[in-house]
Amino acid sequence: MKILDKKHLITVIKNWAERYRVISPVRTSHNETIFDIFDENTFTLDYTKPSMPPKSLYLPQSETIFTVENGEYTPVTSRIKSLLFGIRACDMTAILQSKSFMNGEVADLFYNSHSDNTITVVMACAGPQNDTCFCTTTKSGPYAKKGYDLQFYDVGESFLVAIGSETGTELSNIEGFSDIDDADALNKIQSFQKEAEQSIERIPEFTPAMDRLSNGGIRDEFWERFGNKCIVCGGCTFVCPTCTCFNVADRPTAPGKGDRLRTWDACLYGGFTKEASGHNPRSSQGIRLKRRHEHKLLYYTDRDTHGGLCTCVGCGRCSDYCPVHIGTIEVVKAIAGE
Amino acid sequence: MTNSINEVEDADLFFVTGTNTTAQHPLIGSRMINAVERGAKLILVDPREIQLAKFAHLHLRQNIGTDVAVLNGIMNIIIEEDLYDRDFVENRTEGFQELKAVVSRYSPNVVEQISGIRSKDLIEAARMFAAADKAMILYAMGITQHVTGTDNVKSCANLAMLTGNIGRPSTGVNPLRGQNNVQGACDMGALPVVYTGYQKVVDAAIKDKFEDAWGIEGLDDKPGLTITSMMSEAQKGSLKALYIMGENPMMSDPDSTHIELALSNLDLLIVQDIFLSETASLADIVLPAASFAEKSGTYTNTERRVQLSHKAVDPPGQARADWEIVQDICRLCGYPMNYKSPADILDEINRVTPSYAGITLERIEKEFGLQWPCPNQEHPGTAYLHKDQFTKGLGTFLPCEFKPLAEVPDQEYDFILTTGRVYFQYHTGTMTRRISLLEREAPEAVVEINPEDAKRLGIKTNDRVELSSRRGTIRLKAEVTDRVPKKVVFSTFHYIESPVNLLTNPAHDPVAGIPEYKGCAVRIRRCA
Repeated sequence: MKILDKKHLITVIKNWAERYRVISPVRTSHNETIFDIFDENTFTLDYTKPSMPPKSLYLPQSETIFTVENGEYTPVTSRIKSLLFGIRACDMTAILQSKSFMNGEVADLFYNSHSDNTITVVMACAGPQNDTCFCTTTKSGPYAKKGYDLQFYDVGESFLVAIGSETGTELSNIEGFSDIDDADALNKIQSFQKEAEQSIERIPEFTPAMDRLSNGGIRDEFWERFGNKCIVCGGCTFVCPTCTCFNVADRPTAPGKGDRLRTWDACLYGGFTKEASGHNPRSSQGIRLKRRHEHKLLYYTDRDTHGGLCTCVGCGRCSDYCPVHIGTIEVVKAIAGE
Repeated sequence: MTNSINEVEDADLFFVTGTNTTAQHPLIGSRMINAVERGAKLILVDPREIQLAKFAHLHLRQNIGTDVAVLNGIMNIIIEEDLYDRDFVENRTEGFQELKAVVSRYSPNVVEQISGIRSKDLIEAARMFAAADKAMILYAMGITQHVTGTDNVKSCANLAMLTGNIGRPSTGVNPLRGQNNVQGACDMGALPVVYTGYQKVVDAAIKDKFEDAWGIEGLDDKPGLTITSMMSEAQKGSLKALYIMGENPMMSDPDSTHIELALSNLDLLIVQDIFLSETASLADIVLPAASFAEKSGTYTNTERRVQLSHKAVDPPGQARADWEIVQDICRLCGYPMNYKSPADILDEINRVTPSYAGITLERIEKEFGLQWPCPNQEHPGTAYLHKDQFTKGLGTFLPCEFKPLAEVPDQEYDFILTTGRVYFQYHTGTMTRRISLLEREAPEAVVEINPEDAKRLGIKTNDRVELSSRRGTIRLKAEVTDRVPKKVVFSTFHYIESPVNLLTNPAHDPVAGIPEYKGCAVRIRRCA
């Protein structure tokens, strides 16, 4: 374990930034905090849950995966080395889950080219970041149990830093970090973790709702009620750290030349499952919502959850942003109340 | 909108007519849904069973083009049953007796005969509306795109005034504007009768003011032509040149055959657009313009909010911001226009437009835009209009009589075609049809037809059908659905492969010049 005095943090990040593209919390001119390229002048530690998960570092909203010239396909992979500083434990769990998902039967070359080149530094949460956080229910926070290269615990004047990988060892082998391995430091981390866990409210309906769902106790009419009000923006899937569905499209750039792109997609769009005949096995918005929530709460394997309860990591963003309140929290509570 | 978007959440009742809000203004639609779930009432007046119908306490499916009769009928009941806001009518309005005289001719039975709405439902709607403390009227093109568009709007305003639902939060007459800056374009005088901020071209003092501001003499003091009249004049040969910016009349104007004739009859057609649209393909000169992300400036949205927009990427090729292109053309024509940036232009807008005087760059940089009227630097902007008095003092009731559609069905063309949009495509598709995901969702034109009609005509979902009016014929796919009533078909104008505006009627409102896209006579056949 290491300790880093807060006054050395900027120097440390600047040191990392010489080797990596550092993505960190920054404050915009409109006083919002977002994750963006590290800049000493706008960098901030005063941030909560970023509105977007770090998903686009791994699966860009739109990227060219092949170029084509006269019938020759050339894969386009990323070699940019990134360091994600200050991500939250829920998003760390989501990164692990997505990595497994994208390396199921076939390894996703493009995803891996990002993921293999990205280093993660987690900032453990001392408490809920807003009123929709429920990582203690989904067992995916408030601190990361694995997957990180480094994990920072804010203990006042300094950070206690847990090392999670060889890269983490290297990263913390620079000026600013000091070794600390006494029982006192360990105690501090343990009490940080305990306090954090206790301060995040659990959702008692969550596990019963998962059980109801797996017993087939929820009729389609229940989902149609949500389907009636869904405005099909797809926003819940875009802000979800574990939603990784994509569409593939070709774009001609010149005669005989073109790009093959992949872009984010959403299972809530009718065309996602529409067949060539026009038939759609997921024929209504209600059924599409059902499938999305089943995917988060039912259809997963232990290999995919990485210690989490399911493939919802409790970040609460869908509940934060759905304009008509069809977030996981609302859905789970409604299922439990059925 | 007289009122603001966030006020939608707090209304007690919505009177929604001629807007498929969840499809076309989804974030306003979602606020309505949230309000209804909280307990607000929703009266929907729309021939089609749109998504909001699932949340409506009353869905009145009027015969197309009978809006004035329906609104008069509702007002008649409110007056007859003494449910109107006496205080408001006495203190804030004039012309009540004239209104009463006209609407008294629209008894529930008469309205039932005209509109097909059962008198029982009309009475319930009137009582429900009158009982609400804060009632919001929301409408879009279903009200305006008629030969009686102006009358329809006046009638909505009459209803709001009669019940005192104007000049307070979560009330008002709220047209939902269809494009991010159509409000701004109108505000900036992109209309034939006004300068910026609706200052009339016929007003000599206004003319003087603009001549001073621009250092010129001889500004025209006569109203110009509306789009519909420009096309007629072009076809006649009396209009020689057209300079079209960001508009695609070959797809969006009614009776496309007539539009093509009109445009090809011009001596000069200039089109300024971000893509080579169907209209740009006919142009003598095409001026490539920058898209929203490639230029800076402001947009004014449906709630009159002026918001700043920053350039994110450089325009491709020779494309440039619209203002730069226009400025160069003016210079080449001999007028020394010398703006250095959009900020310079906003500065001039502040100087010559009273309602925009306080909407300065400095202020909108700091805040989430400002809503006009905002007459000075200290003014906070205006969330809702007509608070203590109307702009003109007292609000005048402008009663209207019902007039039928310009083209009613007959034996040969026995259906009414009403047109609109789908969620995944935007307008004439110049932008959205280039997006593969949106094309996947809505790849082609579909005509909705009622199951009873479809059965009689042997039409099934996904069949190719032929749709004809007196002006042309198109082929497209059928969808058999209860969403449309009997003897009505619905389709969209997004697709060049099935250009619905080949069929629509160019008959237009005499005041606003807006064509009757919402109703023309057609016949439908299954393709052999």
